[in-house]
Amino acid sequence: MAFCTGCSLLCDDIEVDFEGAKVKRTLNLCRKGRGHYDSLLVDRLAPAVDGSLVDIDEALSSAAEVLEGREKILLFGWGNSTLAAQKAGIELAKKLGSVIDDPSSYSQGLITEKVLKGELPTCTFDDVRNFADVSIFWGDDPSSSHPRHLSRFSYYPRGEKRQRGYEEDREAIVIDVRKSPTAQIAADGFFKISPGGDADFIEALMAALGGKIPKVEDKKRMLNLGTKLRKAKFGAIFTGLGLAHSLGGDLDAFFSLVGKLNELTRFSVIPTLGDYNTRGFNQTLFDEAGHVNSVSFKDGVDHGPEFGIAKYLDSCDAVMVVGSDPTAVLPAPLAKKLAGMPMVAVGTHRTLTTDGADVTVPIGVAGLEVGGTALRTDGVKVEFDAVVDSDYLPDVEVIERIMEAV
Amino acid sequence: MVSVMEVYQLLPKTNCKKCGLPTCMAFAVELLGKRKAIEDCTPLVEEPKYETKLAGLRELMAPILSADSTETGMVIHTEKCYGCGNCVVACPVNVANDPKGTAIGRGPVSGKAILMVEDGVVKCVNVDQCRRFGDEKVLCNACIVTCPSKAIEFI
Amino acid sequence: MAGKKELTVVTYRGIFQEVEEALGMYSDGYRDQSALLELDGGDAKAMGLEDEKLILLETASGRVVVTAKVSEDPHPGIAFMPASPWSSQLLSGEVGEGGLMELKRFSATVTPTEGAVTSIEEIVERIRAA
Repeated sequence: MAFCTGCSLLCDDIEVDFEGAKVKRTLNLCRKGRGHYDSLLVDRLAPAVDGSLVDIDEALSSAAEVLEGREKILLFGWGNSTLAAQKAGIELAKKLGSVIDDPSSYSQGLITEKVLKGELPTCTFDDVRNFADVSIFWGDDPSSSHPRHLSRFSYYPRGEKRQRGYEEDREAIVIDVRKSPTAQIAADGFFKISPGGDADFIEALMAALGGKIPKVEDKKRMLNLGTKLRKAKFGAIFTGLGLAHSLGGDLDAFFSLVGKLNELTRFSVIPTLGDYNTRGFNQTLFDEAGHVNSVSFKDGVDHGPEFGIAKYLDSCDAVMVVGSDPTAVLPAPLAKKLAGMPMVAVGTHRTLTTDGADVTVPIGVAGLEVGGTALRTDGVKVEFDAVVDSDYLPDVEVIERIMEAV
Repeated sequence: MVSVMEVYQLLPKTNCKKCGLPTCMAFAVELLGKRKAIEDCTPLVEEPKYETKLAGLRELMAPILSADSTETGMVIHTEKCYGCGNCVVACPVNVANDPKGTAIGRGPVSGKAILMVEDGVVKCVNVDQCRRFGDEKVLCNACIVTCPSKAIEFI
Repeated sequence: MAGKKELTVVTYRGIFQEVEEALGMYSDGYRDQSALLELDGGDAKAMGLEDEKLILLETASGRVVVTAKVSEDPHPGIAFMPASPWSSQLLSGEVGEGGLMELKRFSATVTPTEGAVTSIEEIVERIRAA
């Protein structure tokens, strides 16, 4: 059995045959996971300094040189890193007195932080499979991003209290601006909202839950939804970027709705996070600093939006990116700022970010070439071994060696 | 799904009985059930006036007669498939045959599953176990309605 | 050539795009799955656009040429675009009221055009230009 680190579901029932390093046959691996496995032989990152190939030792010492003597370093990425590497990364941030951040600062960090603080009720995917009778996918399209979400946990499997199959035992509700592939299968459970319409939808649903007439076009449908949610025995809400961004980061209305639902029955929140170990980084930094992202270790622990990548690029003087491609994701003006920075990039593959780095340090693909541990997006710890031979270093070793050298 | 009427419209409709059946309608039913071949309708194949009809019928029947189509008429458009396994887990035959694997959302463990995900896409095996197979068939559609990308159809 | 239109663009991720991304960001496959805009049928018609025609997308932050796809489902005034270096070119980097940098939604001018889809090399060049 092998694991898949293609997304944050960390599927653990994968069977794979290799022919050398080439994947010959896989079982139970979804299409996205298969792409992840096949990527082992495509566009791999090489150790380089200023675009010239060097050996790994030289790349590591050059990486340390880029960081040394800098006052305001940003260590960014970490979602595609093992727990051990994340821990080492936080130690490195402390040693350098630098800022550490991850993509959650511009995506679902606020939701994850509430979950970790215990201010949003949560549960595991195994609980969802065994007990959930209502699954809400909000601005979230796991059929595309986390393909086995519905089949392994949230809609189709039989579970302890869910023995009769999804038609009788479960209900899927999708709230989205687009008829996504997940909305496609939810059929009647799809609530199409306008872009930015989440706040109005929440208001209407709050009214329906409170027994008032909601101010929406289809009052009956909203009242029915309210009744359905009130009667749920074990509800689960899966959140996506769509929800976080629709509300512009002001999620109070959503948090109130979850509070209201929990006065009436039980509803848990599990954010559908992108990278395989985003949850791990958020948890590790939270344990260390009380926050899931945007932390400065300059003078003790400091936290705030000014330490998120969106703002900190204005004041930092060097960047180390680990297992992430912010150049491809960030808005053009920010990508330009990033391109102008002295930069070290640690990763498995060539990306827009590694192409712009002064020093690149390759690492092995976790779960395939190197072992490690990670937290699934519901917080459950998963441990995996290497399944194919490789000369690539594990990410933790790379971070530790840079730490020794600075 | 191709209907008997669609097939019938593309036959000579002369009820000539050369195929051994009493009517063209009966032939349409047998053709759809793959118990007769298009070539069994000799006038259609031999007489030039039916050229357009023949071409239409071949086009209509192509997916049904293709290698991808199993005995149940199931066609998997692998180019659309996400490999999500929704159909694998929702399939009532898998649930009954593989209670410790596919029924609870995992890969098959019993060897009796009829749907599984191989190389990133779904594959149908042990097809004679499908509810749509054979004389006692029922029109189960669990694998179709659970598909996020309309990758499965029955023809 | 028919007129331009101001549309709300919402970004999303699709599985085939993610597969292509895993298999190489500089590939034609990744470009084909990323450099596109899904348009409402009515909007497309009003602009004289058909499936596979090229369109120029412009915001105050940048401009890219992508391929038009006409949706089966209606969504007038709204267009959907895979999140990618192409969509990133159109984002301002501004932080919203709630403190979150806008990544999912922006308003863009859409104009039918000719020529070629913006290449990823061109985008990289723009990012690196001082």
